[in-house]
Amino acid sequence: MSAFSYREALNQAMTEEMDRDDRVFLMGEEVAEYDGAYKVSQGMLKRFGPRRVIDTPISEEGFAGIGIGAAMVGLRPIIEFMTFSFSLVAIDQIVNNAANVRYMSGGQFAVPIVFRGSSGMAGCLGATHSHRLEAWYAQIPGLTVVMPATPADAKGLLKTAIRSDDPVIFIEHEVLYHEKGDIPDGDHTVPFGKAEVRRPGKDVSLITYSRSLKPTLAAAEELAAQGVDAEVIDLRSIRPLDLDTLIQSVVKTHRAVIVEEDWPYCGLGAGISDRITREVFDELDAPILRVASADAPIPYNKQLEASMLPSVPRILAAVNDVVYR
Amino acid sequence: MPIEVTMPKLSPTMESGVIAQWLVKVGDAIKEGDALADIETDKATMQMKSYDDGVIAHIDHAAGDEVALGARVMVLAKKGEDPKQVAAGVTGAKKPEAKAAAPADAAGNGKRPAEEPEADDGEEAVAVSGGRVRSSPLARKIAAEARIDLARVPGTGPGGRIVRRDVEDFLAGKTQAPAAKAPAPPKSAPAAATAPAAAPRTPIPAARISTAPLEEKRIPNSRMRKTIAQRMAQSKQTVPEIHVTVDVRVDKLAALRETLNKELAAEKVKLSVGDFVTKAVAVALRRHPALNATFEPDAIIRHGEVNIGIAVALEEGLIVPVLHHADELGLIEIRRGSEGLAAAARGGSLAGEQLSGGTFTISNLGMYGVKQFDAIINLPEVAILAVSAAEKRPVVEGDAIVVGTVMSLTLSADHRAVDGATAADFMRTLKNLLEEPARMLL
Repeated sequence: MSAFSYREALNQAMTEEMDRDDRVFLMGEEVAEYDGAYKVSQGMLKRFGPRRVIDTPISEEGFAGIGIGAAMVGLRPIIEFMTFSFSLVAIDQIVNNAANVRYMSGGQFAVPIVFRGSSGMAGCLGATHSHRLEAWYAQIPGLTVVMPATPADAKGLLKTAIRSDDPVIFIEHEVLYHEKGDIPDGDHTVPFGKAEVRRPGKDVSLITYSRSLKPTLAAAEELAAQGVDAEVIDLRSIRPLDLDTLIQSVVKTHRAVIVEEDWPYCGLGAGISDRITREVFDELDAPILRVASADAPIPYNKQLEASMLPSVPRILAAVNDVVYR
Repeated sequence: MPIEVTMPKLSPTMESGVIAQWLVKVGDAIKEGDALADIETDKATMQMKSYDDGVIAHIDHAAGDEVALGARVMVLAKKGEDPKQVAAGVTGAKKPEAKAAAPADAAGNGKRPAEEPEADDGEEAVAVSGGRVRSSPLARKIAAEARIDLARVPGTGPGGRIVRRDVEDFLAGKTQAPAAKAPAPPKSAPAAATAPAAAPRTPIPAARISTAPLEEKRIPNSRMRKTIAQRMAQSKQTVPEIHVTVDVRVDKLAALRETLNKELAAEKVKLSVGDFVTKAVAVALRRHPALNATFEPDAIIRHGEVNIGIAVALEEGLIVPVLHHADELGLIEIRRGSEGLAAAARGGSLAGEQLSGGTFTISNLGMYGVKQFDAIINLPEVAILAVSAAEKRPVVEGDAIVVGTVMSLTLSADHRAVDGATAADFMRTLKNLLEEPARMLL
């Protein structure tokens, strides 16, 4: 067990998988010569050469399509989007092809591809570099969507994603790249569809993922000081969703607050809330509340940007509403 | 034509039912015999079954609603009908036709809640608006399990919503129904000698307390308790009762019982004295149809069946399941039937027919060693038999006093329908049958 940053964890996952399986290759803007826009692929060009670490022009639809084709004929591409905001240029390839090829070919073709890159509040990079699109991708049957919150999960989930025979949307978070954490030694993988209880509690279930784990845990600590014992669940896997863990938690606490960085309208929390309500309606003592980003484009201004994201005070306010204090 | 499903009569005295829980939802395809909902009647919680096949197009009531007998509860689309169109065509969405009395305005500010709030803006100051009780699903579940009426629980959640802690506090006796809130008694006697009008209890000096003090507790009346109260009061207040008591010598019966039980040991059947009483009553009723009857203002209905209700004490009250055609049953069938009914009563799984159609009731307190008691008539029946313990008593035989096993039986009869002589004649038959049990064979 050693401490590494989130970006180092991702680098380790790709490097180890490329060592293990020579069908794996990395492609994207500035992944090679520049060592990655966020230095995630640092040193990889040197190690694997230009055949396996490939710089592309600004042409998301093109290189996403090439990746899908390569996956269909047996390679295992990792496509890096500099930010997932730019993946929208390639969305036809992802939604119409990657997600559907296995189904539409009657199982004759698989698409073992990973689309990865940063997303979310980027720290003064403005609206078009800060989108949170997990709800978009999570809605598409055929896609797996994972969003690690810690270095250990970043490495473990990325290795699982690279080994997956189906397309995976692997959404990193811009402000997590420098976060450090312990990563188990050896071939560390994390399965899809398993949430992690980051803090057990009995009074309210706080359901979150990715960057929002941090303010949620901080809120839970403050709540503990106020006498409210919050359980914090890190989804890790957005689709498939670990409904069992969520239900067990809500059956225990009878209340839930979903903390998500995406937009509120038709956001991920809406789907999760729907599932919980349907499964364990009779266990609920309060409506399920959601703390999401403000329903607006993400502003450039630092204070405005911070104010629209889920924060400790906003989480505390929501919890107070559901525990009726 | 779509099918309108109405609140069925699940117990003979039922006037309305509370939908404890829906087991189906709009869009479900159902078949005849499928359970639709758990219905709380005045007696028990029973399943409402479907008599038809179809798809549920519309549901009129939410769980917790009280619905009058015969009022529509849902609309089914038949085969070939589009449930959506049927739903669109449903008119006159039925409101709950009967409603538990809403508690008085909790805030006491005299504001009457609106009859039917236009929009749910979550800002009402009282828990009850238009008769609707705001409550969380969890609170409703706990209340249903504890058989308490949520309308009696003060809500502390937003907009007066009743939440789990409110129900738990209520169950623990920490809160009271808003309507019944009595002026709070003084917490403790003031130190000064200002004698309060209503003197608070004088604390008992510590030295004299040998056990923990009894705790004052307020137990809200369940629906069953309310029904018992209403029906017992109605019976006592409206029926001119006559009581006829006989002492029955049951030595022969006891001996017979012992012999039979030895025979039946292999079959794991153990006849009780009560089973013999049931059998004797059934036989006696055939001979005295006046006691196997129902009183109505303009007629007395003598029933064509002998269906004996057997009162079963439950923790939460009393219920009278019915042994149908008791006169046609042998002792073994009576034993098994009574056992089955008692078990179903305790498990809360009595079916509607097991609670209806009674023509005469037996109440047996013999197992408590009771010497004699009067039972209250289970209306609309005209008589009830109170059975006491069989015990050894001094008995005059000729001119000598001997020890005999004796049981006192008391008939309470509705004198509007049954005269003293008729009652006495029935009791004589019963006494004869029990003293010479072989006569039951005749």
